[in-house]
Amino acid sequence: MASNRAVIETAGLWKRYDDVEALRGLDLQVPSGSIFGFLGKNGAGKTTTMKVLLGMSRPTRGDAHVFGHSSAESNSSVEIRRRCAFVSDEKDLYDYMTVGEIVAFTRSFYPRWRGDLEQQYLHKFDLQLSRNIKGLSRGTRTKLAMLLALCRGAELLLLDEPTSGLDPAMAEDMLQALVTHVSREGSTVFFSSHQLSEVEQIADHVAIIDQGQAIVAGALDDLRSQYQRIHLVFENDAPEIKVRAPGTHRVRRQGRVVTILSSSRGDAVIEELRGYKPATFEVSPVTLKDIFLESVRTED
Amino acid sequence: MLWHKAWLETRWRFISALLILTVMAGGNVYDYLATERLLPRLNATTDTPVAEASGLADAIREAIEVQKDFRGFIWFQAFRQNLTQMGVFFAILLGCGGLLSESSKGSALFTLSLPVTRKQLLGARTGTGLAQLFAISMVPPLVIPILAPSIGQQFGIVDALAHGICIFFVAAMFFSLASFLSTLFGDIWRPLLIAIAIACFIAVAQFTVPQLGIYRVMSGESYFRTGALPWTGFLTSAVIATALLYSAAETLERRDF
Repeated sequence: MASNRAVIETAGLWKRYDDVEALRGLDLQVPSGSIFGFLGKNGAGKTTTMKVLLGMSRPTRGDAHVFGHSSAESNSSVEIRRRCAFVSDEKDLYDYMTVGEIVAFTRSFYPRWRGDLEQQYLHKFDLQLSRNIKGLSRGTRTKLAMLLALCRGAELLLLDEPTSGLDPAMAEDMLQALVTHVSREGSTVFFSSHQLSEVEQIADHVAIIDQGQAIVAGALDDLRSQYQRIHLVFENDAPEIKVRAPGTHRVRRQGRVVTILSSSRGDAVIEELRGYKPATFEVSPVTLKDIFLESVRTED
Repeated sequence: MLWHKAWLETRWRFISALLILTVMAGGNVYDYLATERLLPRLNATTDTPVAEASGLADAIREAIEVQKDFRGFIWFQAFRQNLTQMGVFFAILLGCGGLLSESSKGSALFTLSLPVTRKQLLGARTGTGLAQLFAISMVPPLVIPILAPSIGQQFGIVDALAHGICIFFVAAMFFSLASFLSTLFGDIWRPLLIAIAIACFIAVAQFTVPQLGIYRVMSGESYFRTGALPWTGFLTSAVIATALLYSAAETLERRDF
């Protein structure tokens, strides 16, 4: 269950790589105990955010704190990593080790290593200790990387595309294992994914990042109830619509049709739009996919 | 466990280096049998004007003179040439790689997610590399006193150890150079090639700039000729190696992954 205390907090976080600005003032708060889905297009800044949080990259400016420790300082980032587990998008591990060797290697850094979970996941994921990592398929590497993350006794799991490379059945098993783990251990999960259905399935909080900024963030249930799509159809070409009421995110005009995404449940937007006298007027609930697509879609 | 990881990463380079250098040192011992028969009959044709003018004649005469006994032959063939040249190459090879080259393989993020500092990562790799370097500096010279009696010759163990120490100090400098270059380039090839180019440049330049004579330190020339260890050379090598490793640590600390 999520609490009000934030495990991750970023404020005005900027990260510039040469001439590319990966983050442009990212503000983010991840509540303790939440399963937080981090959504965005390729290159939106998801992986960079995770790297900055773990001290792998240093912010150009702004602050990033995990468990109240600044990730930009070398010693405090070690403390962050002691309490975190990270699974990268590539899931690349040491090719020159066997499964048993990398499990023993990782175990040596974590005094709270869960031997019982290690045995459980080795069996569940069908991982053989004697297998060379070099010979593992991408899916099996993903399972091994998840095992190494889940057994650390970590308070925070940072997972970059945790189910990439897995077939749908295995992805489902992995998500279930993750949810079970979180409910049993009480840890926080901050994960990125392109699979919106996955995020809807397990996340209780989401943030959508676009061009290095969080453009939507909050509890998933709140977002679903807060957002609505308003669909206007005109008899002739749609007029240019400018909504003054707050909470209007996106206005798209295509021929006779205008679609508006609104995050305001109040009547102000609806009343204002009725003033344009459309032939039909329809308000419908939205899914996370709708919110995501409307938020990150570039203007036509 | 970081030491174990560093060992697993470099073990084949280390084992190859140890085997090749040991076989070379052993081979030099048995080469003496053939050379011993040839040397008295060798009438060096060093009296050409070109050879005299270039100083080549003196060098050839000296080479022949030095190699007339077993100790001189071993110093000239093993310590001055084979173990020095190949020792530099293997020192550079052991120094290449590390965290930055891991990033090209994709495993750097896993390493960086561990609760250790980058200095600890570099320290474990450097410590492992220097221990391996010490072994490949000391074991091949020690093969010489072990094998020498089999051809009726003697070579002092203390002499072998002294030459091993000379190889180690200068090789550690090239190891540190490769380690430093490996924090600048993400692949293994550029650090390797640049470090080899620098080693070759020094080898050529030392003929005109004697202060660059680190290969004389590495071959233990002063120990061979006078019995004195090259302490100034050791100190210089140690200072340069420390400066390079410090630079490597600072560069790695600032780098984004």
